[in-house]
Amino acid sequence: MSIMDQNGGSVIAMVGKECVAIASDLRMGNQALGISSNFQRIFPVTDRIFLGMPGLATDVTTLHERLRFRLNMYTIKEEREIAPETFAHLVSSTLYEHRFGPYFIEPVMAGISKTPTGKYKPFIAATDLIGCLNFAKDFVVAGTASSKLYGVAEGLWEPDLEPEDLFETISQTLMNAVDRDAFSGWGCIVHVITKDKVITRTLKGRMD
Amino acid sequence: MAFPNVYQSPGFEFANEVRNNYLAEKGMPLPKATSTGTTIVGCLFKDGIVLGADTRATEGPIVADKNSADTEFTTALISSNMELHALETGRKPRVVTAMTMLKQMLYRYQGHIGAALVLGGVDATGPHLFTIHPHGSTDKLPYVTMGSGSLAAMAVFETGWRPNMEREDALKLVKAAIAAGIFNDLGSGSNIDACIITANHTEMLRNVEMPNQRVQKERDYKFRRGTTAWKKEDIRKFVVDEQITLIGGDEMDTS
Amino acid sequence: MQSFVDRYSTTSAVSQLRKVQRLAEEDDEYSDATWGSGAGFGNIMKGSPAFTVPNVPDPTSFLRLHTDDRADPSCRIKIQHGTTTLAFRFQGGVIVAVDSRATAGSYIASGTVKKVIEINPYLLGTMAGGAADCQYWETYLGMHCRLHELRNRERISVSAASKYLSNLVYSYKGMGLSMGTMICGWDKTGPAVFYVDSDGTRLKGDLFSVGSGSTFAYGVLDQGYRWDLTDEEAQELGRRSIYAAGHRDAFSGNTCNLYHVKEDGWKFIGNYDISQMHYEGPGNVPGAPGGGYGYDQRVVGRSSANPPEVVAAAAA
Repeated sequence: MSIMDQNGGSVIAMVGKECVAIASDLRMGNQALGISSNFQRIFPVTDRIFLGMPGLATDVTTLHERLRFRLNMYTIKEEREIAPETFAHLVSSTLYEHRFGPYFIEPVMAGISKTPTGKYKPFIAATDLIGCLNFAKDFVVAGTASSKLYGVAEGLWEPDLEPEDLFETISQTLMNAVDRDAFSGWGCIVHVITKDKVITRTLKGRMD
Repeated sequence: MAFPNVYQSPGFEFANEVRNNYLAEKGMPLPKATSTGTTIVGCLFKDGIVLGADTRATEGPIVADKNSADTEFTTALISSNMELHALETGRKPRVVTAMTMLKQMLYRYQGHIGAALVLGGVDATGPHLFTIHPHGSTDKLPYVTMGSGSLAAMAVFETGWRPNMEREDALKLVKAAIAAGIFNDLGSGSNIDACIITANHTEMLRNVEMPNQRVQKERDYKFRRGTTAWKKEDIRKFVVDEQITLIGGDEMDTS
Repeated sequence: MQSFVDRYSTTSAVSQLRKVQRLAEEDDEYSDATWGSGAGFGNIMKGSPAFTVPNVPDPTSFLRLHTDDRADPSCRIKIQHGTTTLAFRFQGGVIVAVDSRATAGSYIASGTVKKVIEINPYLLGTMAGGAADCQYWETYLGMHCRLHELRNRERISVSAASKYLSNLVYSYKGMGLSMGTMICGWDKTGPAVFYVDSDGTRLKGDLFSVGSGSTFAYGVLDQGYRWDLTDEEAQELGRRSIYAAGHRDAFSGNTCNLYHVKEDGWKFIGNYDISQMHYEGPGNVPGAPGGGYGYDQRVVGRSSANPPEVVAAAAA
């Protein structure tokens, strides 16, 4: 029994056309026993950056607070909003500082940033529990259902999806993957980040 | 007045050590960090050094083996210190300096930082090529390979390497060595990265060869909008562009 | 006259018994093809069946080495553990309800497993622990129940059938069998439920639940159980208990299979999707209260999460 499976939970992020989506399940359990079906593991970082933290639930809270502190310090010092790429490195170095006593979290990040030409560039990234960054052009997954998510996402994802189509693709990927995982499920939440709005939807998922 | 302690000492943080050791004792061992196999190589040629790597899993620096986070942060730290060193001494940096800094750091951590590197470059004293192991030992050789694909790559070097090779021949050899790793080692894969370093120029060749291009998917699975049943929706709208309407007629006096 | 008919009849009980006995005595004369006709139980009449064991000094520990996933999660052979099964006796017969999830580690290998084994028209067995062990031995038990009928011209009692099974698994004790089962049926004594497991335990009782989700099922079961339950109430209790387990337990879920044993044998009542029961309830079935079983569904407009309209208006 790995400590990463103690509370269960999974997160996935996908790139679309000038938009990104990040989604997770809502289960928090103690091994086989389901405790909560409304557990928040995706947090807003800025208006257009979201961070998902699958792994040990106690570390979700701790790391969220620690990153919030570091982010505030960055914002005060720089007097500007953080860029998604910079935030990914902030997460990465925070985790690597704990190289020899890590947090049991595998973060997934999603955001969009404005380019000099006025377009919006999607950004997704994930790291392992000691902060090894993985930038992907299509999708990133983490959590107890990660192996299942890889399989489904590999089949369903396609480039340049519009926000509403990306919502369907990420939702179906997540829901079908967690239905094959004992430690994930109990409902899902999806955030689609576009240039002018963030759409957050709570999905009707299997409750067993 | 009490100030919050915003100062953090640099370096590693061991705060979770006690908890994690306790968990390990309870039969919940530390999960494995990403540690995919790779093939990394380097060889000497007439005018300098050619480095090569495969690109499986983690993209980024062309020197990466063993633990990905370890190599990433170790190279970033040393590169930063090399820059400072160069500014301080007012001299161009040397390959041995980087090598020494790396081996001293890795030795100090007694192998706990699992970085294994191929280091190559050209400085005032000529071209140099090193391998650095996680415990801090180093080799200086005319052609080197590391990682899980090192045996396949070394086989290519042993048959193909000659002293004073031409630039193009050396690049061809490095590409063949990486390809051997990609195709014969399960831990290595994807594309070939290369880098040619000479006395006054460095050429980065990202994805110089892509022998594993994916074919177009035969079908796509786009879902009809409205497929997914949802319970609750919350839309947060941003102000994208704003129009300022002045109130009171006259412009503000800014003189 | 009766004996004369028996001698030349090919379908009477006596002649069938004679045929089986002859089969056993002259086993050597039969080729491998005959073995197939015995549905894998070809050596049934040689007393207890003989199994091929691994050619190692200690077959028992060899098996344990490769099947004990608690001691070694990377072991080669994974036996299904997570499940919820229940059975209870009441005025109107026996209710048997089970979930349908099969897991291998955290992977949900199947959501459509039949965990009720139909031994014969009057006997049901449930499956928890090793799926293969339960399926094989309860089918085997079915063959012996049939032989009992042929020999004694009456149906076997649930007590005798369950004792046959418990004695059988006891003879394999320590060899790695893994099963927790309820043998349910109706005999001369009325409705009967017996719990039998691979340790050799055999218990008679009114109400049992077995598996990783059993604690959740017991919670609902104990709260709603009475001897004088009506058929509809009893079926609803079985369904509701399996729902509770499927909801809370990670290793139980997907669907619920419901059986009702009465004097004239068992009847399959239905298959109910646990997630559907959460949101909409079991559908238009007798005994169902209408509406979903889920907490949010039951308390809609009455909980702090979604307070009643009036109170919300007053607070604002």
